[in-house]
Amino acid sequence: MSHGATDPTMHPEVQLSTSKGYFLGFAISIALMLLATALVTSHSVPPFGLLMVITVCAGIAVIAQIYFLLHIDISEHNIWNTVALVLFIPLFLITIGLTWWMFSQLYLRTMDMSVMSSVTNPAVHAPATPKLSDMSGMNKNPDSGN
Amino acid sequence: MLVDLPGGWSPLLGRLAWSQIPYANPILAPLFVAVVIGAIIILGLITYYGKWTYLWKEWLTTVDHKKLGVMYIIIGLVMLFRGFIDGLMIRTQQVWAVGPHSSGVFGSLHGYLTPFHFGQVYSAHGLIMILLAATPLLVGFMNIIVPIQVGARDMAYPYLNALGLWITAAAAALIMISLFVGDFAHNGWFEYAPIFELQYSPGVGVDYWMWTLQLVALGTTLGGINILATIIKMRAPGMTWGKLPIFVWTSLAANVIALTSFPALQVALGLVAADRYLGAHFFTAGMGGNLMLYTNLFWIWGHPEVYFVILPAFGMMSEIFPTFSEKPLFGYITMVLASMAIAGVSWLVWLHHFFTMGAGPFVNTAFSVATMLVGIPTGVKVFNWAFTMYRGRLTFNAAMLWAIGALFLLLVGGFTGMMLAIPAINYMVHNSVFVVAHFHSMLLVIVYAIFGSVLYWFPKVFGFKLDEFWAKTMFWLFSAGTVLVFVPMYMLGFMGMTRRLEYVFDTGWQSYLTVMELGIVVYVFSVLAFFILLYVSVRDHAKNRVGADAWGTSRSLEWMTHSPVPFYNFAVLPHINERDELAWRRQHGIDQVRPEHYEDIHMPNNTGVAIILGGLTFVLGFALTWRIWWLCIVSLLAIILLMIIRSFKGDPGYIITGAELQRMEEEAYRREAQVLDSHHSHPVSGGVVGNAMAYQRNDSSK
Repeated sequence: MSHGATDPTMHPEVQLSTSKGYFLGFAISIALMLLATALVTSHSVPPFGLLMVITVCAGIAVIAQIYFLLHIDISEHNIWNTVALVLFIPLFLITIGLTWWMFSQLYLRTMDMSVMSSVTNPAVHAPATPKLSDMSGMNKNPDSGN
Repeated sequence: MLVDLPGGWSPLLGRLAWSQIPYANPILAPLFVAVVIGAIIILGLITYYGKWTYLWKEWLTTVDHKKLGVMYIIIGLVMLFRGFIDGLMIRTQQVWAVGPHSSGVFGSLHGYLTPFHFGQVYSAHGLIMILLAATPLLVGFMNIIVPIQVGARDMAYPYLNALGLWITAAAAALIMISLFVGDFAHNGWFEYAPIFELQYSPGVGVDYWMWTLQLVALGTTLGGINILATIIKMRAPGMTWGKLPIFVWTSLAANVIALTSFPALQVALGLVAADRYLGAHFFTAGMGGNLMLYTNLFWIWGHPEVYFVILPAFGMMSEIFPTFSEKPLFGYITMVLASMAIAGVSWLVWLHHFFTMGAGPFVNTAFSVATMLVGIPTGVKVFNWAFTMYRGRLTFNAAMLWAIGALFLLLVGGFTGMMLAIPAINYMVHNSVFVVAHFHSMLLVIVYAIFGSVLYWFPKVFGFKLDEFWAKTMFWLFSAGTVLVFVPMYMLGFMGMTRRLEYVFDTGWQSYLTVMELGIVVYVFSVLAFFILLYVSVRDHAKNRVGADAWGTSRSLEWMTHSPVPFYNFAVLPHINERDELAWRRQHGIDQVRPEHYEDIHMPNNTGVAIILGGLTFVLGFALTWRIWWLCIVSLLAIILLMIIRSFKGDPGYIITGAELQRMEEEAYRREAQVLDSHHSHPVSGGVVGNAMAYQRNDSSK
């Protein structure tokens, strides 16, 4: 404890952080974000391709930030960062997974699915709504009182 | 400008104009005058008694976790009072505006609040009570108690701690100023999409709400990081995970939740800001927006937040019951596991806040089952507390009464929670006052635990006990108010009364609403009893002085140091032998052992940077709300520059020499000896008695 306090900047996990790394991480993130924004605003790629491109951009940005800004690797002195990442995985699966599930179920019941598919297949005129009985999870027998 | 702003905008003042000051409002204008006069009196008194230097040096620039905790608690109590006044206003409006023949004043058709003003009152009530009353009160207690209970001299990051406090204070100031400059949000404390979009809520109310919440989230996240680091890295020698006091365990669980869930809220609010400021369409009804996505994101944070506030309250109860039962806590291990289980399950249940969205039977069933799972660890806790009291030597003082009250309310809130977890019932009572009564029962568990803790830990922090008579009077008045307000509320919920009614159409509900009004008047008396409690206790403080162990039956580490706790907490860090260290030492006859010699210790310096950053944060929040762009840029740049300057400067801290420490310790012992004239008169010197070790001896290793 007391007076012999060591210089915190000499800790190995702090030594990993370099201004070059931070600037690089920042620059990569900004560049990818600008690229994605430019593609979205200019509509220069068809919708499905656009979705793919910005997803890839986001993926690269995540990796760049994990590496350059958060310094997450599997070395011994970075164990706390790694633990934090491991804790993040179940939360990521829970939040994104359950959200996806609940909204897919919601859309089955509330949305015109032909419109929803317009991302992949931009139809201007929506075809007729699918029959209720075609939806999964729907009560097939209207007389059951459910 | 990316969005069409209704009303004027000028480069200098943004949307701010004289017309935004509600000087013609018959409620706000007199209040404003009262606030100004009150502020002048307080500032005048500080100047008259020449206390500015003291205030600046001892409080405003402090990094001492106990003083920061006290200031957190003061902010919490002030905001609790403000939220309570909002509650009083809501109850009064509802008892007044019943049926078409009810009278109306102040420009309202029925009652005394217009629908727009009433909306602001209940929105502010909710946001304030959860995020600016309960949260600062709990964070304040964690701040004070956790470092002492783990045997540390301060938090892991004292400066960050001060920063968290002042950002929270900035948030409180921002919501308070919305009373007198512009409006507050009128769509409920958690808001709804798409009504918070600019075209439906064109005023600054939603902006105030958004930036206040954003600042609280920031402050709480910083505090959470600090408490986690303190618990993980700063425990006293010998304190293994199995010996951690239970309040520290619940604080750990709570802050894991805070650290992981608050980012979801910040992202959601950021997207709302993109919608309102940049014209994006994240939560609009059309244009590719998804309005339920907002509700989803909000409750991804919102449900874990509920357990963030309840878990420390459980920890407080777990400290109070053993002390006044003179028994160790029953089922320590299960208590720890239950806290962690609650923290884990908190992430799996958020959809139960919007069962009626229509996600269908599979999704609703899954979340219903997950919600019911919460009952298992909570039930474990309830039984553990009951078994702690079973065949104990119970002392029914005021702190214990509050804890027992919390236990009963937890049962009421818990069982109604189980009812609400059933989607079929939820569809029936959705958005009724039954739900409101349920979550008030749960939040009152927190309030009861907090008042119990105020009584329980007050002597530790200030060195004297609070007056028992007035504390008990306050307890019984508060409990009577709780019954009178919330039993009729549950009944009205079953009758179909929906929440947030500024006009009550069914005259058959009048009698219930009258009982509730009576209840809130009883609450007013309990608030008065609290003020008298503070006055009487401070007046008689010389009579009520206490020694280190204020209750005589305390068990954990914080009761081993002096009361009031010296700024360095422990002159020599104790060695931890057992889970209930003080009880163990008392049993082994070493509770009066004093260290043989004192070594130099290293303490952090005070800093004015934190309060300046807090002030700048407030300016930034205000400028963002009113869209004063130049002020946003200036304050943001100032914040960044100040952070950089402070980072390069760092804090070398300062040294208290062993001799100085010895002098201060001997003075504290002398003061304590005067208080305890009889039973603790034989201090033992030295570090080791038999096998029991009080302090780790440096010389033994040589």
